[in-house]
Amino acid sequence: MTATVSEFRERATVAIADVRLQTALEGATGRFAASREAALAELPWADELRDHFKAMRAATLANLAAHLETFERNALAAGAQVHWAQDGAEACAIVTEIARRRGVTLAAKSKSMATEEIHLNAALAEAGVRPVETDLGEWIIQLAKEPPSHIIAPAIHKTKEQVAELFERESGRPQSADDIPALTAEARRMLREQFLAAGMGISGGNVMVAETGSVVLVTNEGNGRMVTTAPPVHVAVIGIEKIAPAWDDAAVWLSLLARSATGQPMSIYTTVVTGPRREADPDGPEEVHVVLLDNGRSHLLGSKYEEVLQCIRCGACLNVCPVYREAGGHAYGSPYSGPIGAVISPLLFGLDKYAALPHASSLCGACKDVCPARIDLPRMLLELRADLVEQGLAPTKEGAMEKAAAFALRYDKLWRVVTGLGRVGQRPLLKNGKLQVPDQFNPAGERQLPSLAKKSFHDLWRDGEV
Amino acid sequence: MTQTRTNILSRLKMQQRDTAMPPMWQTQQGFDDLAEQFVAALTAVHGEPHLTPNLETAAQKLGEILTELGAKRVVCNDEVPLSDLNLAERWPAIQWHIVGQSTGDLRDFSATADAGLSSGAAAIAETGTLVIRSGPGKSRVATLFPPVHIALLPTNCLTTDLFTFTASRTGDLPANMTFVSGPSKTADIEQTMAIGVHGPKRFIVILYRET
Ligand code: SF4
Repeated sequence: MTATVSEFRERATVAIADVRLQTALEGATGRFAASREAALAELPWADELRDHFKAMRAATLANLAAHLETFERNALAAGAQVHWAQDGAEACAIVTEIARRRGVTLAAKSKSMATEEIHLNAALAEAGVRPVETDLGEWIIQLAKEPPSHIIAPAIHKTKEQVAELFERESGRPQSADDIPALTAEARRMLREQFLAAGMGISGGNVMVAETGSVVLVTNEGNGRMVTTAPPVHVAVIGIEKIAPAWDDAAVWLSLLARSATGQPMSIYTTVVTGPRREADPDGPEEVHVVLLDNGRSHLLGSKYEEVLQCIRCGACLNVCPVYREAGGHAYGSPYSGPIGAVISPLLFGLDKYAALPHASSLCGACKDVCPARIDLPRMLLELRADLVEQGLAPTKEGAMEKAAAFALRYDKLWRVVTGLGRVGQRPLLKNGKLQVPDQFNPAGERQLPSLAKKSFHDLWRDGEV
Repeated sequence: MTQTRTNILSRLKMQQRDTAMPPMWQTQQGFDDLAEQFVAALTAVHGEPHLTPNLETAAQKLGEILTELGAKRVVCNDEVPLSDLNLAERWPAIQWHIVGQSTGDLRDFSATADAGLSSGAAAIAETGTLVIRSGPGKSRVATLFPPVHIALLPTNCLTTDLFTFTASRTGDLPANMTFVSGPSKTADIEQTMAIGVHGPKRFIVILYRET
């Protein structure tokens, strides 16, 4: 998948015209955002906690190699097998080789962005292993043969009628769209068979804890417990940046993750895996593998984009992003959508392939405000825009401007949202009542533009003032 | 493989800096009564907590619940205080599978059991969370496969929050440690909450004040 300007524009236009999708997006993101706010409001020290978390994430990344080595040492001591993968192809090869050695034909998967990122399901299928997604939302989109459209709620765009139809096809039994508990029960029944039959469980990981060599998995449904318990082999694929040095740090991480993601004080299940079953354990997997995935991450360390490695994939930035809320996840053409996706997709998968994404933002700053690690996504979006110009992916500075404006101007609704929020979000850029456009975004260099309150960018553009 | 490891680590080491970790986060949370906070928090997430004065009343509560469930087959971890309750004598009508003691396949039994029983290593008051550990006599499937998970533990297992829990952590971790904060749930179909997707549909915790 890619997201050139025209592709993004096309997909976003379709999404914006889809009334049902707009209602679903608005409802879901609104509920997530409101729950998050309420959950953090319960902690009077939430801001301090986030500052602490930011400092902890920055310090961890500054010493990432040492923490990964500590993790590896402790995971090995607990009996786990640790693999290192430079890119998606290497990671897929590691997993399929384990499957081949164990004669696995069915793999039960719990929701994982890392395995989406490396297209593991396609690699497994090619190797003769049938992967079954077991997170209800992931399973729905797997049945529909679609990519996820939200980090936390991958099937956010599906109606209950569509779900009932998919289940009907899969089970061969009639399903009632109006009975969501019954649909859930049907999924429980069908997927339980898969858990029990699977030769391998595959998961991502929310965080690794170096001091004990543990992988921590968070789910609400319990599929994370299932894939690490029922099959004889468990493989966790996890990005190298998702590591906490000690349990005290992991506690900060976990206490912010669920609150930021869904507004829960804690997810229903937090599973901590430290190696395979011990000799006297009555059950549990015989083999546990951890695949440490680089896939471009190590190149970001020490760069102006290092901060993006602090991300814990909570999805909070998606829920408040005016562009995501209009355009939906699929417009981004990447498993990672929304503000985090707009930054990380070009960085991990190529700026040329995702040239539209740095512009898929109004720079309103809402993402940074809600991020548990206070990641400055707007800053990095601007850096990426500058890179686009520098790498000749936008013909000239003016060209970049033109592209950005033309892209936004094309669809009215998005444009209204973008400028509407622009006026609220411009404050940090205001200087003496003038909008100080950062250099790389300003074709006239240091020149100041009138603030949006006086004349909208739309009008300025039309009148040839920019 | 080893080449990849070397490559990744050497790239990371080139960027290594001396940045100190912030001092450990000290909990700001405080509750007058941990048990009451636990009950309130677990109730809020559709869990079913019961607070009883002592082990004997806790056992009575357990009996009431098993009767209400109409439980015929129950799998139980072999751990205190459950192992002190003489379950089979108390409730002879129920077919029991005691982990590590009963013959027959634990996995098969758990997959068709009406309920799973465990104690807990700790309980977190702030979030109504039970912490369970794998180990000898402590099965993972017993608390995962059945539609109902019932846990019985003393209130002295309570700790304030995740921070006090990790701060008091001692010794090695088991192969599996799970924090359970309610019954299994999803909102993946039209954002409508549904209980009991993959894990237990009912999560019942019986706390007893130790004497
Ligand atoms: S950038 Fe921040 S808000 Fe967005 S997913 Fe990552 S951690 Fe969450």
